[in-house]
Amino acid sequence: MDHPRELTVEAPRAWDRPVVSVPVLICLSLVGGQLPSFSTQANLYTLGTGGALIWIGLSNRVPRRPAPHRLPAGAAWWLLPVTVFGVFEGTTFVLSMGDDFPTFSLLADPLLEDHLVRSAAWFAWLAAFWGLVRR
Amino acid sequence: MMRALAIGGFLTALVLFAAVEWAARREGSRIPSLADVCAFVMRYEVGPVPVGRIGFLGFWWWLGWHFLAR
Repeated sequence: MDHPRELTVEAPRAWDRPVVSVPVLICLSLVGGQLPSFSTQANLYTLGTGGALIWIGLSNRVPRRPAPHRLPAGAAWWLLPVTVFGVFEGTTFVLSMGDDFPTFSLLADPLLEDHLVRSAAWFAWLAAFWGLVRR
Repeated sequence: MMRALAIGGFLTALVLFAAVEWAARREGSRIPSLADVCAFVMRYEVGPVPVGRIGFLGFWWWLGWHFLAR
């Protein structure tokens, strides 16, 4: 007997649930947080984890959440923080005044030297990446 | 002085990101969430090539490499 199409929803796979994906991301982040900047290990680990997520994201291997077909006019509000950030990042980058007028990267570097902060940044990056892959 | 200006500018941008996201999550809001905006941009395709998806995922990959490996 055929079922109506809207009733046949694919059950989420076990590894696609937060109870599985979040601990995996935490483990990956804790490892990443131990790797120092400019090291070969950090480069390989970043390229490896990011490459794997891009491969998953482009190969249709995970179910995606539906994307909106149109954006409401209120989407223009997002231009405000993007413009403010872009103006400061662009100005600091072009003027190249170092620590006197630092870019966002220069400001973040000393914070990211702490292993705990670095692991938290890794988790934020991987969690957002996973979110993008599923979009 | 210039350093404080830069820090203040970036903090302002981050606060604005949080404020717009907060406004987007209110019930009945006409502002889409950042996730919805990203998803919309990622739908952009040129012929069979998912340009938006490749661009967004590639940018995020580079961002992680820039901050976490460099």
